[in-house]
Amino acid sequence: MELSVNGTSYSLDVEEDMPLLWALRDELGITGPKYGCGIAQCGACTVHIDGQAVRSCQMPVGDIGNAEITTIEGLGTPEAMHAVQQAWVDHQVAQCGYCQSGQIMQAAAFLETHPEPSDEDIDRAMSSNLCRCGTYPRIRAAVKTAAAKLQGA
Amino acid sequence: MRILLAAATAMACAAPLWAEGDHGLTIPSLTAEVTPEAGLEAWDRLHEVFTHPRCINCHVGEEAVPLWTTTHGANPGETRPHGMNIHGGDSRVGAEYIDCGTCHVTSTRPNTTPGAPPHAGLDWQLAPLEFQWTGKTPAEICAQVRDPERNGGRDGAGLIEHITHDAEVAGFITWGFTPGAGREPAPGSLQSHLDDTAAWVAAGMPCPGDPLPASAPTEASE
Amino acid sequence: MGRTRTIARRSFLIGSAAVLGGVAFGTYLAVKPSENPLTESLAEGEAAFNPFVKITEQGITLIAPHADSGQGVHSMQTALIAEELDIALDQAEVSFGAPDPAYYNTAMANDAVPFAAFDEGLAARSMRVVASSAFKILGVQGTGGSSSTPDQYDKLRAAGAMARETLKAAAARRTGLPAEQLKTENGRVITPTGEAIPYTALAAEAAQIPPVTDTPLRDPAEWRLIGKPMQRTDIVAKSTGTLPYGIDISLPDMLHAAVRINPRQGGELLDFDAAKAEAMRGVKAVLPVTGGLAVVADNTWRAFKAAEALEVTWGPAPYPAEQAEHWEAVANSFTPERLNTTWRDDGDVDTAHQGEVITAEYRAPYVAHQPLEPLGAIIRADANGAEVWSGHQLPRFVQMQVAAKVGCEMEQVTFHNQFIGGSFGHRLEFDVITLAAEIAAQLPGVPIKLTFSREEDFAQDYPRQIGMARSTGSVKDGRVESWALDIATVSSSVSQMGRMGLSLSGPDAQIVAGAWNMPFALPHLRVRGYIVPELAPTSSWRSVGASTSGFFAEGFFDELIHAAGADPLEERLRLVTRPVHRQVLEAIGEMSNWGSDLGAGRGRGLAMFESFGVPVAEVVEVTDTPAGIRIDKVFVAADVGRVVDPVNFENLVQGGVIWGLGHAINSEITYADGKAEQSNYHMAEGMRLYQTPQIEVRGLENGSHVRGIGEPPVPPAAPALANAIFAATGTRLREMPFYKHINFV
Repeated sequence: MELSVNGTSYSLDVEEDMPLLWALRDELGITGPKYGCGIAQCGACTVHIDGQAVRSCQMPVGDIGNAEITTIEGLGTPEAMHAVQQAWVDHQVAQCGYCQSGQIMQAAAFLETHPEPSDEDIDRAMSSNLCRCGTYPRIRAAVKTAAAKLQGA
Repeated sequence: MRILLAAATAMACAAPLWAEGDHGLTIPSLTAEVTPEAGLEAWDRLHEVFTHPRCINCHVGEEAVPLWTTTHGANPGETRPHGMNIHGGDSRVGAEYIDCGTCHVTSTRPNTTPGAPPHAGLDWQLAPLEFQWTGKTPAEICAQVRDPERNGGRDGAGLIEHITHDAEVAGFITWGFTPGAGREPAPGSLQSHLDDTAAWVAAGMPCPGDPLPASAPTEASE
Repeated sequence: MGRTRTIARRSFLIGSAAVLGGVAFGTYLAVKPSENPLTESLAEGEAAFNPFVKITEQGITLIAPHADSGQGVHSMQTALIAEELDIALDQAEVSFGAPDPAYYNTAMANDAVPFAAFDEGLAARSMRVVASSAFKILGVQGTGGSSSTPDQYDKLRAAGAMARETLKAAAARRTGLPAEQLKTENGRVITPTGEAIPYTALAAEAAQIPPVTDTPLRDPAEWRLIGKPMQRTDIVAKSTGTLPYGIDISLPDMLHAAVRINPRQGGELLDFDAAKAEAMRGVKAVLPVTGGLAVVADNTWRAFKAAEALEVTWGPAPYPAEQAEHWEAVANSFTPERLNTTWRDDGDVDTAHQGEVITAEYRAPYVAHQPLEPLGAIIRADANGAEVWSGHQLPRFVQMQVAAKVGCEMEQVTFHNQFIGGSFGHRLEFDVITLAAEIAAQLPGVPIKLTFSREEDFAQDYPRQIGMARSTGSVKDGRVESWALDIATVSSSVSQMGRMGLSLSGPDAQIVAGAWNMPFALPHLRVRGYIVPELAPTSSWRSVGASTSGFFAEGFFDELIHAAGADPLEERLRLVTRPVHRQVLEAIGEMSNWGSDLGAGRGRGLAMFESFGVPVAEVVEVTDTPAGIRIDKVFVAADVGRVVDPVNFENLVQGGVIWGLGHAINSEITYADGKAEQSNYHMAEGMRLYQTPQIEVRGLENGSHVRGIGEPPVPPAAPALANAIFAATGTRLREMPFYKHINFV
């Protein structure tokens, strides 16, 4: 089976029903996507598949085909952060940070198609991602900052 | 990768596609003798399926908020808005906020994990607005289902094809009867649902409150 | 080579030691108990040295021994050192360091004694000294009880100051200039002519001279970092997916393990059939572990699937099988036999209650911790000992527990502490550590990564204590007159310490935490704690006893004030006895514009509660909408003595409020057939973003001690919400979770 992740093609021999999350983490060593719940309750495993946010714990690898997968590692790097990541740094969103890969991937996919979100839009787009530390006030602020930054770019 | 509103755009086909399909269903006759009374009884069973949580929870109105029937929490069995502030938007697929497909992936594999979002072989979505069943009487829903203007342009044969095509792609109707992961299925089976649909069509699509007709309406004889 | 020039500074000894290629600065600890280990001079070999600052030619390393489960102490510890050392936050490598008794937590011990944090009386002070010494001898390098900042606030700055001055002394020797003429900046010593000598270039010389230990700490007015917004040292890594948590570590030839443990916690595995699991792809072994089975496979998901496929027969639970029996046990504990102690008895409540009284019963359920990073650990064990990679709040106990499982000395266990994806108290427990050790001991030499599935995490969690309160009170002439508060909970302290092989001597202050020492002078006030016989195992849950007693006390206090016809803020201000608490109340009144009209269908509720020495007042504003209660806004005023980083402070306060509100609304653990009924977040959701109110925070600095803020915002949140709902709707909520009684939007 072939998977294209962050622009690199990988060949792997796994069950078709293995969730993408575990293929990424345990087979390919790509650990930005996190395991939190396994049932799409937390969103910590969010990746982009052809640009759309997807909970990788729900996505059987055998159903991905040749779609392009992007993980947080492919969104930006510490040296060259994506606007959403930069906004997360500027607002010091993270506490434990474990959910934030997923939050950032969700926000990045959302802003790609909704460059000028209202408060209500953000509340609808970002409420499927769980943060046990309670960084939600900062997530709201960071999404707005990122939107403004992307608009200006 | 998204097939927008597949169900809404599927039109009735003249050729019986299901004959070649892999739906595993026995196609009942649409021209059998079915009395209006038997037709209404079939309708009652259809209505029971349509208003079962597995079906009606996504046949919501303009508010575009899918429903959950809880299995736990303060009041198990209660119907409440989908958690996580989910909103389907005008797109009915959540494109304005968060896509249904973010969690409800498109896959024909069985649903096995309790608490996980169900998936099907079609892209998860709310039913089109004209298919709203919430807050409607049986007669209102029935009138919708037999009206091609409000059922995706389907005649009787089209309704049958809708079911068999769904079986071929492991769509939402199929899922409703085999939701997996401890969810209560819609009553009956996909086959019995198909049989009831056929009987209802053969009886001339009678609805509750219809004046009893002297003869079958024309839709069934096409 | 260690030199023990020791001084008695506050409660620790500081000094330096030469290390390979440089010098280290840190604290000394007596390795044998003595009359007064804090002040006695120590001879060579009697002291263990542990560095906080290490400087070699290669660079600067800071050791931040407190575990970071998201509260930001890794960064905070760095800042405390950097403030005095004159380096930038990103100028040093920061490590958790090896577990060591020298990192014992003096502040944590302070909360183990049954005296109010503000009590500076002789008895309280002597008890703290005794407890502190015990922790020190035990070597509790603990993180918890919001104690990291109080523990490290002086020590780390002192280590930084000593390092700076010693480096200056080395530079003075080299240049022949008097040290007073030298300045330090950005990790360099600067001469009057502007010559800059990097610390790294002075490290070898600094090791050759006596450390400068009599440097006074800088005046706060000179601070560059403390008290100002800082960029957390972990923030970029946490925003780019590049920070490895324990669960992300991978070792060569590592195998992945999952467990299936009797969900009737503590019950036995009676029978099993592993044939199906063993035949599954990738499965290497099915092994017995305490209470169940482990599957070892080549991939976590395969291990999870195989663990699910095990056919098992479980024995009964060692506690009542049904939730109703748990409540019954709590309700039956308000008896003289179960009286833990009478903590406070002002005036004479019995006489005061001969007339008309107000009574109410409050309930708080078990609640799970469920940090988002599931519990996990990597352990490799062999004949030489063991190596452990995991995030934990009690590293020395990790070594002990692993040593006991693999059969070696604790010195043979190397522990690599990791960044933690949340704890809320669960990473004070050893369940995943001992299970991983049992698996690793059966597969010598193979690194085993054990990960709990979320379902296993729920099944094996040790929830927050279950409890009830019965209150009786009276009012007179528009004032609160008397209050008898009886609280009965299981003791999470007894349960938790029992699992560590320790016992609690004396009554459990957590049962009545914050309630018995409430800073209010009622004419008649009695607070009694009752200890419920052990039921399901319980543990410390963010804010521990105060998470239940805060709801019990501040909920009923509001009822009494309402019955008196008084204003909730005015009556508290009338009764409050301590200036710091008064200032907190005054601040919250001003912030929330208390007394202003909110309009129809809206209400505000106030609660103030102290935990871990921090008084926190919260005002919650709600609207009663047709679909349910909406929480609009929360105001918080908290006094921590000193706000080290206002940004992180605000974040932690907001998070604490969200934690308190979310769980009060919708989370509990209930037992049926001896098993927790909740298996994942869909059954214990906590708060989500759309439900989150605006949260306005003010940090006050009137208190005389620096305090931590991780937990204190939690206890007032639930009662402030209940009181707001009463104000808006007239419905009084006396049982969590609230969603059983009222809808929320």
